[in-house]
Amino acid sequence: MGLIEIAAAKALASSAVFLFFTLLVMAAAKRISTCIVMFSVQSAIMAAEILAVAYANKSAEAYTIAALVIVVKVLAIPYLLFRIVRNLKASQDVASSTTGAQSVFIMVGLILLSFFAVAPYARTLRVDEDMLAASIALLLAGAFLMVSRKKALMQVIGLLILENGILLAALTTIFGMPLVIEIGIFFDLLMGVFLMGLFVFRIRDTFEHLDVSKLRRLRG
Amino acid sequence: MNPAIDLIQSLLLVAIAPLVSGVIARLKAQMQNRRGASVLRPYADLLKLFRKHDMAPDTASWLFRFAPAALFAVTVTAAAFVPVLHASALFGVGGDFILLVYLLAFGRFFLMLGAMDGGSSFGGLGASREALVSALAEAPLLLALTSVAILTHSISVAGIVLFTLQQHPFQLSAVFVFALGALVLVAIAETGRIPVDNPSSHLELTMIHEAMVLEYSGASLALIEWASSIKLTLILALLIGVFAPWGMAAGASLVALALAPLFFALKLAALTIAIAVLESSIAKLRMYQVPDFLGMASALAILAVAFTALMR
Repeated sequence: MGLIEIAAAKALASSAVFLFFTLLVMAAAKRISTCIVMFSVQSAIMAAEILAVAYANKSAEAYTIAALVIVVKVLAIPYLLFRIVRNLKASQDVASSTTGAQSVFIMVGLILLSFFAVAPYARTLRVDEDMLAASIALLLAGAFLMVSRKKALMQVIGLLILENGILLAALTTIFGMPLVIEIGIFFDLLMGVFLMGLFVFRIRDTFEHLDVSKLRRLRG
Repeated sequence: MNPAIDLIQSLLLVAIAPLVSGVIARLKAQMQNRRGASVLRPYADLLKLFRKHDMAPDTASWLFRFAPAALFAVTVTAAAFVPVLHASALFGVGGDFILLVYLLAFGRFFLMLGAMDGGSSFGGLGASREALVSALAEAPLLLALTSVAILTHSISVAGIVLFTLQQHPFQLSAVFVFALGALVLVAIAETGRIPVDNPSSHLELTMIHEAMVLEYSGASLALIEWASSIKLTLILALLIGVFAPWGMAAGASLVALALAPLFFALKLAALTIAIAVLESSIAKLRMYQVPDFLGMASALAILAVAFTALMR
């Protein structure tokens, strides 16, 4: 049993690194489906993190939140997004306005920035600096993906990453928000993805493309 | 006894290199529903080429003949710095990971000189492409190895391998993940595999390595081909040694030494299968995309170095 426990402890201690890795892959990704898979992986890492907090604090609420994360973020939302991508029959390209290397460099910069940003707070709050930095990095990365990718679907994915960052920040600083609020957020997200899906279809039907940088004029 | 083992493992690396190329070619052929040549085919090719007449263009100088020999010598020297079976190297000195990087660059320098001396336009074309790729691959390779050196508190390749070998796999810092990512990307570019270069293509628009060796024949070509397969095996052995050395012998115990080749063969087989799958499943990048590919490796390597200070 010892080996598995060591492995689990190590995996949790280095989960920040794996979160960073998913962000870097998303920055390098050229296809929307890669980003969706990475979002699912990212949410699975978060679920493991929440399970660990639940186990350590023996809190039933945290177990519920972990189950919700797995059902909603690891399975339901990626499935919905995949369905949208399949039904759109549009190109898979994320239509980035920066090249792959530039995106990865910017992402690296954001990750380093988040470390410097949280350093003073991590010391006073006595929380894990890596995880707090990871949550800020998720926020920044989500915002960066939203502004730099022109496909409407990438805006949805950017928002979801941003939300993952908020969840992680709450988890590391105050061990998660109250259950009612969490459930509300998950419901919001699911509805948001539904609505954005419909919206994306409308954009495609009206403008015959998904490039948000070209949405300049009103059309009936 | 140790120098003897070190000598044997360096010679082993040189000797099995054509076999590794043969296995990759065979696996790729089978994945593409072809039967493929025997895995020993590269040896037969080398033997055939060594027996053939070595032609040189009229315009070529002594450099044309000198370059393949220099490339081979430098590559074999580089192979002597990489631990394979035993966590020590024939020529281990402090800071030799930097030397290793630049020995490989030196070999490439000779190959480019020889290609341009050949006088054909393809030689110059291939050399300029190779110069572009190698200039961009040098920084991430060096940075990734530097981050590994900082993490393992040692400045020689053998020291890095010995440190990692003595750690439990779960005791290693997670920062290794970034260094591994960067090194894998660089290794693809360095060894000229898909998606950076296609080793089995003779298409003018895309070839890098093949364009450089177009003018060579006979023993010179054999030396170049052998050197490039040694380089591939060397970089695979370096990846194995730095990131997964478990199974390698640390002391002079005979049992460990007897088991080490088995572990090495298993790990090498896993990597060759990975290369064959990768090369069969993805398309080659356009030449202008290669700097982008290596830029990602640079960013990863920079993050790896920064994280050695930021994370424990």
